[in-house]
Amino acid sequence: MTLTCEKVIEKDNKKGDIMSGRVIVITSGKGGVGKTTTNANIGTALAKAGKKVVMIDTDLGLRNLDLLLGLENRIVYTIVDVVEGRCKLRQALVKDKKNPNLCLLAAAQTRDKTAVTEEQLKEICEELKKDFDFILVDCPAGIEQGFQNAVAGASEAIVVTTPEMSAVRDADRIIGLLEAREEIKSYKLLLNRVRPSMIKSNDMMSVDDVVEILSAQLIGIIPEDTGIITSTNKGEPIVNDEKSLAGQAYRNVARRIIGEDVPFLDLDEETGVVAKVKKFFAGLIGKEKQ
Amino acid sequence: MKDIFTDLYNKVLGFFRQTEKTEESAKEVACNRLKFVLMQDRTNLTPELMDRMRKELIELLSRYVEMDKEALELGFEQEGNQMALMLSIPVLRAREEAEIEATLAEEDAKKAEAETAEENSDETDSETEDDAKETEENESSEEEAEITETPDTEQDESENENPEETVKTSSKKAKASKK
Repeated sequence: MTLTCEKVIEKDNKKGDIMSGRVIVITSGKGGVGKTTTNANIGTALAKAGKKVVMIDTDLGLRNLDLLLGLENRIVYTIVDVVEGRCKLRQALVKDKKNPNLCLLAAAQTRDKTAVTEEQLKEICEELKKDFDFILVDCPAGIEQGFQNAVAGASEAIVVTTPEMSAVRDADRIIGLLEAREEIKSYKLLLNRVRPSMIKSNDMMSVDDVVEILSAQLIGIIPEDTGIITSTNKGEPIVNDEKSLAGQAYRNVARRIIGEDVPFLDLDEETGVVAKVKKFFAGLIGKEKQ
Repeated sequence: MKDIFTDLYNKVLGFFRQTEKTEESAKEVACNRLKFVLMQDRTNLTPELMDRMRKELIELLSRYVEMDKEALELGFEQEGNQMALMLSIPVLRAREEAEIEATLAEEDAKKAEAETAEENSDETDSETEDDAKETEENESSEEEAEITETPDTEQDESENENPEETVKTSSKKAKASKK
């Protein structure tokens, strides 16, 4: 799998030296559905695939992306310092511990959403496009100015949602707002925290249900994974864990962003003992009917 | 003995199947509630407004056909990227030509009355009043011409005399209207 990935990157690099990065905003409307986790993981996965990636945290006053990446102690300057001229843009970029392809432009923790304007964010994105393949913008929750700012510089969007009613409703609202903005050329849906067992017992909306209701194109299905909590605690994105299913799902999303055609993971866990017992009884009932 | 057991088995099985069917799963409830609430979100139409729209539609359409007012279904459906307003009307009976013309004439008379009342209250100048009357005459003659055209289409409808025929109309509405 990683082999095909590298081939694509080589091709891309040969195209030319002048970079024109893609600016992707990661948004959701509702809080707590996994925007920042998604941002950290997709960013890391893209960097692992050899792309030059910068992540911008626009959640002023409530920054968290630095924590998920384990970079909280390395931040000297923030996006507000750049905007207010206290440092150059390049000085404010924090390099990742492991991957030199990955950078973070942190949000200011002591300021509010008005400290940066739409125009200023656009300018920053334009400047970063010259040096990076991907600029991932982490959007704050809500649909107020913070959202408008985050979307301003982007031309693509990933809408993160979970198969829960409130999250889907908010995602629908966000999609409506994205459609109204001309600069957003495309948006894709990322379904997070999917529980295959609950879907199977008809206790939760399935992936197809959500996709049908929102009528949006899907870019990823991420299974619920307790590993996300431990990875956050360690400040190490789960994509670095080769064994994790959620990590694999995020790596697949990154490959789809690059342009590869990757099939969605089969999340059905029909290999356990319970499944075998179920199958056995299903067979018995089938025989009796005949 | 065997028959009794198989009968019992079938009954028990049937009982479980029935309970399964009657109870909606959490997933179905979620889907249906979401679809309903999103319809409101996307169109900015509250249940009250939908009810009003329904009433007005019934009022308008019953001039032309006799329908089952209780069974009229009105709702939004999604077809890919587009929202469609779906209207399903069970037709009870096609109306007689004369009946339709009579109701339409009645409506027109009401309209004309309302218009003249408005004009009389608005305008005090005698000259403009004369002008208004002239245009009014022109308008009413145009309307008459329209009415004479309608019976042709009604005749076509009365030909197929299936009383429970359902007429489906859909008007497409751009999804972009969401704010």
